[in-house]
Amino acid sequence: MTLKYENVSFTYPGATTGIFDISLEIGKGELLAIIGASGSGKSTILKLLAGFVSPDRGRIVIDDKDVSALSPEARRLGVVFQNYALFPHMRLWENVAYPLKVRGVAKGERQSRALDMLGRVGMRNRADDLPAALSGGQQQRVALARALVFDPQGLLLDEPLSALDASLRVEMRDEILRVQRASGIATLLVTHDQEEALSIADKVAVMRDGRLVQIGTPRELYETPANAYVAGFVGQSNLWQGKVRSHGVVESEIGSFACDTQGRSPGDAVTVFVRPERVLPVADSEPKSAGGELPASHFSGVVDADRYLGPIRRIDLKVSGGLIRLETHLRDAVTSVRIPADAIRLLPAN
Amino acid sequence: MPIVAIAYFLFLFAPVLLLALGSFGESWSNTLLPTGFTWRWYEEVAADPSFRRAFVTSLQIVGITCVLNVLVGLPLAYAIQVGAKGGVRLAARLVTLLPVAVPDLVLAFGFILVFSSDQLPWLGSFWLLAAGHLVLTLPYTVTALVADMEQLRLDEYEHAAATLGASFFARIRDIVFPLLGPSLVSSMLTVAALSIGEFQLSNLIAGFLSRPYPVVLLQAFYGATGFACAATIVLLLLAAIASLASSLTSRLSNNKKAAAA
Amino acid sequence: MSVRASRKALAAFALPGCITLGLFFLLPVGAVMSGALTDGGAFVRLVNDPVFWNGLKGTLVLGTAAPLFSLIVGFCIALTLARLAPKARTAALIAISLPLTFSGLIVAYGFILLLGRAGFVTLLLAKLGFDPAVIGGFIFSPFGLGLAYSYYLVPRVVLIVLPAISNFDRNQLIAARSLGAGAGRALIDVMLPQIAPSLVAAFCLTSAVAVGAYGTALALVGTQVNILPLVLYSKISETGTDLPAASAASLVLIAICVLIISLGEAVGRKGGASKVTRQN
Repeated sequence: MTLKYENVSFTYPGATTGIFDISLEIGKGELLAIIGASGSGKSTILKLLAGFVSPDRGRIVIDDKDVSALSPEARRLGVVFQNYALFPHMRLWENVAYPLKVRGVAKGERQSRALDMLGRVGMRNRADDLPAALSGGQQQRVALARALVFDPQGLLLDEPLSALDASLRVEMRDEILRVQRASGIATLLVTHDQEEALSIADKVAVMRDGRLVQIGTPRELYETPANAYVAGFVGQSNLWQGKVRSHGVVESEIGSFACDTQGRSPGDAVTVFVRPERVLPVADSEPKSAGGELPASHFSGVVDADRYLGPIRRIDLKVSGGLIRLETHLRDAVTSVRIPADAIRLLPAN
Repeated sequence: MPIVAIAYFLFLFAPVLLLALGSFGESWSNTLLPTGFTWRWYEEVAADPSFRRAFVTSLQIVGITCVLNVLVGLPLAYAIQVGAKGGVRLAARLVTLLPVAVPDLVLAFGFILVFSSDQLPWLGSFWLLAAGHLVLTLPYTVTALVADMEQLRLDEYEHAAATLGASFFARIRDIVFPLLGPSLVSSMLTVAALSIGEFQLSNLIAGFLSRPYPVVLLQAFYGATGFACAATIVLLLLAAIASLASSLTSRLSNNKKAAAA
Repeated sequence: MSVRASRKALAAFALPGCITLGLFFLLPVGAVMSGALTDGGAFVRLVNDPVFWNGLKGTLVLGTAAPLFSLIVGFCIALTLARLAPKARTAALIAISLPLTFSGLIVAYGFILLLGRAGFVTLLLAKLGFDPAVIGGFIFSPFGLGLAYSYYLVPRVVLIVLPAISNFDRNQLIAARSLGAGAGRALIDVMLPQIAPSLVAAFCLTSAVAVGAYGTALALVGTQVNILPLVLYSKISETGTDLPAASAASLVLIAICVLIISLGEAVGRKGGASKVTRQN
């Protein structure tokens, strides 16, 4: 059970937006998340797989079979919609049994399978209720059960958590992951919430203007973003414009950095990228070069903003030429920071 | 403002109240209110052969108009809502505006011109009258149903059903009809209320033997006050019942819609 | 391509409706138009007919006075309704919308009983010393007709204006008053501009309805009042009449209605107000 996009392009009639030459593969049991700003084309990706639109070029392949021309009802894919789309006139078990009903499963069997499935998402005791009696999280569970009850070839989740309260989101996202792992089904998750994607996906694809910018594991995306856009979209980051001055030294708008410049020559324009938690505060008493083996870049300035977030503080340090964002669990005043060479990555210049 | 509102409600109910009083009054000429109490006027209306025939004709026309509205209006509304692209939308809007832009009187004149010809000699027939009522009520049906389809988010449910494996016919049977049922009933009751009171077109195109109730009613206005009141009250009751029933079913389906959202 | 239904299915669905509208709407209206346009003299004969001009004058008076009166009353009703609790508002709305489906005949006879020569109000006022001939004659004038029309025009105004008023954020009025504007001033400066499109839309729709209707007028006064629809009605219902001239009069009637409706659409579109109900 693999889901594949092969060089797929699609533009909406009379518009220039769409997606361009996308190739993706989701293996059995794998959860691929697609993230991107609104209008980036991520919803189109889902619609193409579900069969709501057909590609202009390229193929959609499920298990080595080209399904590009098949209607949604012939594709056997479970879809969980943003607003769940539970049928308001059917009881919960009837909602879950519906895909079995249209496949001609006898009433007794489809009822028992529906109840079974409702049990797997913890909703069996509400089987005779109508959807209107349910909270958002409960509707979500039923929608998940309905999308999985007919053993689909893939599971498609369209912003599944966006309609829920923040407190419920974490719980539901773990629930989705649990059910997905238990059924071992290839899953496509479309979301604008990068935290949601990083926390449950095996692989994350970042979309921008209809094109795939980067695809990788959450860790790859966070630690080695392909460019400034990904770095800025996934997590918090410091991004400074600069130029390679000599081997191991980059001159930037806020001063010079000691870092690895391999693969780049002096004079190359680069973007210097550092995660805020990798910026280390330096105590005033500490001597400037504190005996570390690795060379570090040092900066001093004044605190522009100091946000207390419980376990950490998020500080903006104003230095000559710009701003350094850092996160620290230290409670002391911060005036100087150092950035170890291995915390710095050079990205293509904007 | 409340004074205007109270005055308006008086204005709203005064004519109806006077009609009701008049229909039970034995005599009413040059007095403030009628005198005496009698059922006589209703008995006379019920016994009048032309009123009896008109009453039956009206019920038949109403029934056929509703059935035709379902058969013609529902598919049209569905086609408009599904194919909701710029041009189609504009056409739909035009369809709803045309009946106001072309007065019933002009339409009736057009019917006389077209359907008294040798090719289409249908003027005065029962079925042409039904077709006229259909054309007058169709824009209402289409507008109401399209609005309800939008509000019900019918497209989302149909998409969901498609991914679950339901074919086009299964979707129509299991999703569209059950969800749209209440608003269809409500629309048809309003159509019934409109059709039963229709006068402006019927008056000019109905044949002598297939005159609907309102057309016959006009003759009663030149007779005894009590008789005219009773005959008018019959029409008023029919329209009011259909209209109230429509409001109630529409409230029920609105509650459902609110719950679904 | 739509997932919900194929293009062929949709075309098949729309077909019966298109045939119905084509055969029973476009064809008759087309016949009226061609009747007026093929006979070159039709318009000449019409403009030389003083009855036509009197009718046109009456229609313009009626088409302005009735909607204006209905708009003022309907606006006040909508303001009151907007403040009611939801349940009371629903009940009131159902009562108010009842006349929408009433036949024009019911309204006509009700008003004869209320304001006719021997009507309730006429006789009541006569006791107070007013001349019953004057009071009783009022309902048979264009202005009196306008009052009777308002019976089913006011509900239309309320249905169009109420959503605009309900959606209007009343905190803006409080804000305006906190900034120093008086209550009336706040209403005129802040609320009126925002609901103006719906007011214009309501005026135009009710005006078009008033211009085109004839049932109530016919039942009230026969063909004695000079309004265009009644002039046209007597032309149509009399045998051996000048049909091309009647077509020409029809065309004038359509032109007036189309003009008013286009105006309403142009303004109402901007404000997003749109609701159409049939005329009686």
